[in-house]
Amino acid sequence: MGTERIKKNRRTFFKSSAALIGGTLLYSLIKPFEGLAQTKEEDIQEDKTNFPLWGMGVDLESCIGCGKCAEACKIENNVPIEPFYFRTWVEQYTVKNNGEVKIESPNGGIGGLKQSVPDDEIFKSFMVPKLCNHCTKAPCVQACPVGATFISPDGVVLVDETYCIGCSYCIQACPYGARYMNPVTKVADKCTFCYHRISKGLQPACVEVCPTDARIFGNLKDKKSDLVKFLQNNPTQVLKPHLNTHSRVFYNGLSSEVK
Amino acid sequence: MPKIIFRLLLSFIVFVTVFVLIQQYLTPNSFGKYGHYRANAINDNKMRTSHYKGEENCVTCHQDVYDLKSEDVHDRVRCESCHFPKIAGSVDCEVMPPKVEGTLEFCAQCHAINLGRLKKGVPQLDFKEHKGDQNCIECHNVHAPWELKE
Repeated sequence: MGTERIKKNRRTFFKSSAALIGGTLLYSLIKPFEGLAQTKEEDIQEDKTNFPLWGMGVDLESCIGCGKCAEACKIENNVPIEPFYFRTWVEQYTVKNNGEVKIESPNGGIGGLKQSVPDDEIFKSFMVPKLCNHCTKAPCVQACPVGATFISPDGVVLVDETYCIGCSYCIQACPYGARYMNPVTKVADKCTFCYHRISKGLQPACVEVCPTDARIFGNLKDKKSDLVKFLQNNPTQVLKPHLNTHSRVFYNGLSSEVK
Repeated sequence: MPKIIFRLLLSFIVFVTVFVLIQQYLTPNSFGKYGHYRANAINDNKMRTSHYKGEENCVTCHQDVYDLKSEDVHDRVRCESCHFPKIAGSVDCEVMPPKVEGTLEFCAQCHAINLGRLKKGVPQLDFKEHKGDQNCIECHNVHAPWELKE
């Protein structure tokens, strides 16, 4: 009698577990097709063509290297104050008469850049603000093993702080050195074009404070925006074009010394 | 069906199901909506607090200073270029006034001689030669630099 009971129970056990497993499997097969059942209106709303495409222009002929942008960026985005962590910074390039190029950026340019080379040795000197170039083909996004960094539908490279595992691969992958490991949150951090500001219609903090309007921010799709005007009026270049990153930060008056 | 094949099939189904279940459990809600990332992370980035309030907000109380500034050479310089909001920037500026002193070091950020900034429309001067160690605000009104004090 004992074996009979066990046999019966075993049968019901198999039956019920088969039903459970089969049901879950069926659900998982159906789930990917849920999208088809959604209304078309939703699809149109989330069409990528309705998003703006953010970009920035940097006018090197206006930049005076005061470092206000780097300072404002740190305040706006809670970047650690130590002179090692930057979302944006300003470099001074000095080409000497003997052809040597000196690049310096003490404290990222905060507090104003000071020329360290005597005037009579200088052939030319200029300032280059640097930031994340928001590449269309971003190497950092390709390097991320968990999908924690991505290009948003409006063309901004963002970091998902809750998803980042802090492996630093993206920091190594970035050819512009625009990323850093945040010592407080322990995740990768970078320029977001002040995403919280631009999505409210404000300008990024660095653009807001620039006293000479050397940074121009705007929507590349809006043909009337200041940025498109800037691109039309000036011959612009991107940094490291040979890397094919198709970045969206455009420099006016870029010298070949800039790497 | 031979018993062994049935068991193999059963264990295969169990493994696949467990895999699918774990994957569904671990994948965040909006993952994959726009691409290989969590679409809600876009909102997380939007939700951060901004510290800079913009000139329009300054003007609501300080219209007089704004008018004075816009008539002189500092017209293109925004309020917050010099008056950085304090680090706890989301607080009202009445609570933490972002005061600045027009000291030599502060004005030198833009106006100290540097070959890299010549011919860019920003006056450059040797502060020592100009007025020695005298503070800029002793003569200049920072909002209207050419309204010289006595």
